Parts: sequence; C-alpha cells; structure tokens
Amino acid sequence: MKKIYLASLLMGGALMMSAPAHAIDSTGCGLGSMAWRGNSGRVPQILAATTNGSFGTQTFGISSGTSGCDPNGRVTGGTGKMALAFLENNLELYAMDAAAGHGETIDTLAGILNMDSEKLGEISKQNFAYLFADENADALDVTLKLFQVVQA
Amino acid sequence: MPMKKSLLFCLCFLLSGIKAAQGAVVDVAQTKEWLALGHYQEKLLGGYESTIDSLAFFLSTKGKLNPKEELEATIALFQSNDDKTKCLFPARYQFLQKNGLIDTKYPKCAELEKFYDDLRPNGITLLFTDAYMNNPSSLFGHTLLRIDTARKGTQLLAHGANYGAFTRGEENGALYAILGLTGGYFGGFTVKPYYEIINTYNNIENRDIWEFSLDFTPQERDFFVAHLWEVGHAQSRYFFFSRNCSYMLMEMLDAVRPDLRLAQDFPVQVIPLDTIKAVVARKGLVKSIHYRPSRQNKIIFRTQQMNKEEEKAYYQAIENKDYSMNELTEAQKADVVETAYQFVQYQYVAQKLELGDYRKQSFQALKARNKLKESGNFVELKEGKSPVQSHDSMRATLGVGFKNGEAFQEISYRPAYHSLSDDSYGLLRGAEINFLNTVLRHYDHQDKTVLERFDLLGIRSISPINRMFTPISFQVLAGIQRTMDPQTQEEGYLADLTAGGGGTYALRDNIWLFAMGNAKAAYGGFLQRNQYGALGANVGVYADFERWRLLAEAEKYYASAKIGSYQKYKIETSYTLNRNNAIAFNYSYQQNYGEDIEESLLSWRHFFRLF
Repeated sequence: MKKIYLASLLMGGALMMSAPAHAIDSTGCGLGSMAWRGNSGRVPQILAATTNGSFGTQTFGISSGTSGCDPNGRVTGGTGKMALAFLENNLELYAMDAAAGHGETIDTLAGILNMDSEKLGEISKQNFAYLFADENADALDVTLKLFQVVQA
Repeated sequence: MPMKKSLLFCLCFLLSGIKAAQGAVVDVAQTKEWLALGHYQEKLLGGYESTIDSLAFFLSTKGKLNPKEELEATIALFQSNDDKTKCLFPARYQFLQKNGLIDTKYPKCAELEKFYDDLRPNGITLLFTDAYMNNPSSLFGHTLLRIDTARKGTQLLAHGANYGAFTRGEENGALYAILGLTGGYFGGFTVKPYYEIINTYNNIENRDIWEFSLDFTPQERDFFVAHLWEVGHAQSRYFFFSRNCSYMLMEMLDAVRPDLRLAQDFPVQVIPLDTIKAVVARKGLVKSIHYRPSRQNKIIFRTQQMNKEEEKAYYQAIENKDYSMNELTEAQKADVVETAYQFVQYQYVAQKLELGDYRKQSFQALKARNKLKESGNFVELKEGKSPVQSHDSMRATLGVGFKNGEAFQEISYRPAYHSLSDDSYGLLRGAEINFLNTVLRHYDHQDKTVLERFDLLGIRSISPINRMFTPISFQVLAGIQRTMDPQTQEEGYLADLTAGGGGTYALRDNIWLFAMGNAKAAYGGFLQRNQYGALGANVGVYADFERWRLLAEAEKYYASAKIGSYQKYKIETSYTLNRNNAIAFNYSYQQNYGEDIEESLLSWRHFFRLF
C-alpha cells in the first residue's frame, strides 16, 4: 500500500514536472534543454539525444533529470521528489557507492532521507542486487526500491 | 485662530520633512551601495549607466541612466500597494529600510519565499572551472557562483548560479562568434543544483573545479540571494570579452560589498582566471579554497597509485572485460574495480562505448565491487596546482637578436594568455592560447622600426595519447607577419591561416613528442600572384621541467608559390625567474629557394594584470 501511494505521488510529480519550461530564468532543467549554456561548453551530442523529447524516467547511464527535475532548476519538494531528482542525475554514481557501501552520493541521499549515512551505506550495499536488479535499472525504479528497503 | 496656527505649523513641519527627505535621496542616490545595487558604472564623459538592459529592472523610465530617479521610483514603489512588483526587489527594500527612506512593510511573496526555501543559503562560493580546449568559448575557463546550502547531506544539494548568454543553439560557428563578440546575445542568470554542475564540468567535460568560499556574514549572504533574485529576472547584453560571465559576477559581489570595487578592475578584457585572482587578492574576501578534480584527473591519480599486479588486473578489466582479479587482495580488488568503473563512465561520455556495452561493463564492475567486503586503500586526489599561482595573463617582452647578421631590438605585447614555453604551473599543460600578440622591431642596419608580426589567434592543444586516453592534438594559427621574398629581397606583409591536427606521445610524464599535418592559406599584396596555399607537417619535442621549458620543432611546407615552400627548424626555451618574469631564447633556421633565414632572439618576458 505504502509503495503504491509513494509511486503515485512520485508519478504525479513526474507528470507535472514533465512540462517543458519556457521562462528564460528557468532553464536549469535537463542538460538537453539547451545546447549551450553560458560558457559551460557544448554538451556532447549523445546527452542531448538521450534527453530531448523524452520525458520518461532515466535509465542507467549518464543521465540528466527530466521527470524528477524542477522546472526552475532547483532542489525542491519533499523527500521523494528530491531523491528521485537526485538519482536521475546521479544514478551511475550512486550505483558504485551503493555497491561499495559508502561515498558522496550516499552522504547526500542520507541527508535527503534524514538518516544516518553509515546506515544508508550498509542498507544500500546489502540490498544492491535488489536495487539494481539488472543493467536496465532506472531512476524511478531504484528510488521506489530504496524507499522500500530503508523503511523495512 | 489657534487652530489655524497649528495647521500652519504642521504644514511647515511637513514641508521641511519633505525637503530633508529629498536631500537624503540625492545623497543616498550617490552612495556606492545604491550605485552597486543598480549595477551603475561611471561613463567616460560623466554620468552613469547601468550594465543591466532589461527595462523591467528599472522602475523609472530614466532608470538605466539616472540613479537618483531610479531611487525615487523605488521609494514610490514601496509606498504604493503594488505588491507584485515589490516582490521582485527584496534587496532594494532592505537597502531603503536601512537608510531610513521607507517604513512600510515588505509584502508576503510566495515565489521569493519558495526560492529562499529551496536554496536554504548557508554561504556563497565562487567557482572556477579550468580551460576546456574542445570549445572555443571555454578556452579561458569559466566562473560561476554557488549558494551553499544548509540542507542536510552534502553541498551536492547546493545551487550554482551561472551567468551566460542565451543562444539560439542553431547558429553556425562564424555567426555565433560575431554575435558573441558584438553583443548580439543577451546574458542572464540560471540556477541549477550543484550536482548538475559537477556532472557537466567534472564528469562530462573533464574539467577541474576550484571552490573559493567567500567570507560573507549571514546578512551579506542573504542580501546576495535577495539581489540574485532581482538580477535573475533581468538580462544584459553579453559581450564575450568584456561583459561576460565573469564580469557580471564581479558586479554581483560589489553589490554585496561595494568597497570591493571589483568591477572597475575590468574595464576592457575580462578573463575568468583574472577575476579569481582579483577576488583572492581582496582582503578578507576568500576564507578557504577547495579543489574538486575532474573525473579524468581522478582516474589518472588512482592509476598512479597502482603497483604492477594492480595495473595488470586493471587493464585486464577495462580492456578484456575480465574482472576476476585473481591475484589481488580484497582491498586491492576494491581499488582496481572502482577505478575501472570510473574509466567505463569516462569512455561512455567520450562516446567510445555504445550504450549497451557501457551498461554491461558497468554492471560487471558493480557486481564485482558489491561482492567485496573491504574498502580500498587508494587515496583520492585532494590537491591540485592552484590556478591562482599561475603567471598573469598579459605579457610584455623586451628582446634583442640577430636576423641574418643584422641586429634588432623588439618589444611585444600579448593581452592573453599562455604559450607552450611559458610556465604552465596552475594552467592546463600543453594548452597554448595566444591572442592578439603584437611584435614591433627596430632593425639597426636599415635603421627602421616595423611591425614584425601580429598574431590574431594562436591555439595549440597538445595532449598525450596513452593506453587509456586518445586525445587529438590540434592547432589553429592566424596572423600577419613581415616576410621577405628570398629571391627579390622585397619585403611585405603576409597574412596566413594554418590549421592542422595530429597526435602527441609522452616519452616521460613531462617530455612529449608531437606530430601534426597542416594546411595553410596565405595572402600578401607583394607576392606575384597575391596568394598561395600550402600543405605540410610539423614534428616537435615539448619538455616541461616546471621552471625550465623547451620546445623544439621542425616544419616543412609544399606550396603553390615558391615563397611558401620551405623547411624550418625552431628552438624556443624559457626559464622562470619568478611567477611573473621569465627569460627566453628563440632560434630558428629556415631553408627555402633563395637565401636562408637565420634568426636568434634573447628576451625578457614579463606577465601582468591591469590592476
């Protein structure tokens, strides 16, 4: 029950946030949304290709936030939305930190989830095979499972 | 009768009150605080003009040019009931209140409060990302600001505030350059989570990030965020060299602490690293410096810690997808597999792996790591060569030499930025950017002073190919040089453009060999057919022993005109005296169809900033 509730909450948020942002001061969302931003350099084509026109959740790969990402380009919302947005941008970094049981993304997620970092590292490592069942793991799936295992 | 008197008294009091307030407005409008808050800069012929171009940033129609009228209009705003507009100017409100010019309440602003709540500011940090040779607009590096967060967790949840040009994204290179140089674009601020910024710079473009934490009080920090909200709703014309990302950040810091007067240090060219140096040089502004290496530098640092067995297992993993690592201990395996995983991520971003292979290899590494109970022993890269310690970006030289026996003296000036033979401390080794280098010479025998050469642009990137990384080395050189036709002895100016690419191989960490194939187009009014095209190659050795650098090159060209066909041998060496002074020696010998040209030059190189 809890899972369904959380899932619908996340999905609802995801749908709402998937509307592209037009305002000029709110272009922070998604690396693919602007080919060139400031002097930051050209984003490799491959990234634009993986994000443009697709508002599904990100699968495993260097990803840029889409569904969990805030149109204002900000860290915002409740625990679920923040965790999803974070994992959409950092899934491959969290994957290694989870496999090892420690790292910067675990410290960050522990802050979002308001729990002890060491504990989250332990849980992530123990449940790694469940969190990342196969190479097609996606951010939404991992977020939902993560909430499950930390609440267990 | 007594009533009338008191009324009169009241009126007088009121009038004198208004008069006093007007006097105060005139004074306050001239304060450095108000001028900085409106981004007003003094004009050459007197008066002021704001850098901001959006009309919405000004409450008075004359606001862009008139700080006093803008102040009056701002006071009027906060005495009105236009809450929507008041919500756009929280910093101005604080300023007016502090100066006793208003006593009204600030309205409830839901969007502004949300902005503040999302950011949860805990400090301000200036960020510098080093040069990125694969994009002309990033050659000089980049600066942005970070609003540190008080959120639990890490600063990954902080926000970067980036000032950049809004391009349409479809322009071709030339149009893009013209618009960028002439103010054809508008610039503005965007805000993004810091984890996205790290991904862009550290993980995608493989650039180091330097974090300079500013020593702001909580009041200054909040005032900065309030002012960012004001400027975040406005735009300004963007000029690539003068009113760029880094310049706007100077005005932002001035708005918080007007005594810094950072913007006035940069009247013409604004090079990101120069702004960092200016900020570091201001007393009490930077409290700590932190280095965040690029993914590539992290990988290199980890592989440097490997012993022979670990290295073997590492290449077995990344080249043969074999993660068995049989001969290693648990801790060694952890070190190797974590490095291999990082390399797989690097390869995918560099488009050297297909998505399917990338996922497969990533999961191999993840599973192998998850099986291990122990942690690795490698230390992470925590310190780099600070860009603040690099030589300054302008260069002037004084030199004496001989050209085919004739003595000459020369002076040169180069506004930016770095030559291969200059000290590379704190800069990207192998990345040369010479911009507008101008050389004047006086020849003794002929007793005349001439413009010897003018290099519009000289970009060279030499970067070694090894087992892990396969960068392309390239060069683009464009300029005008005084040239003699060896047959007719006639002299004139030759404009040429050379472009080429190749590879670099590192004999040792600091001794590199490179080879490039080049194409050249040249034009000269004194030539028989005015122009020629040429094909050729250059090979060279570049040695960087830190204080002492050596560059030896040989080049050969075959051209459609005799004058363009030649071979040339060059040696350039420079020795650092201190951070901003060096001695250099150049020698070249050119063989062509006429008289050979031999030239030597001994020079003193001085590096500096304008302020």
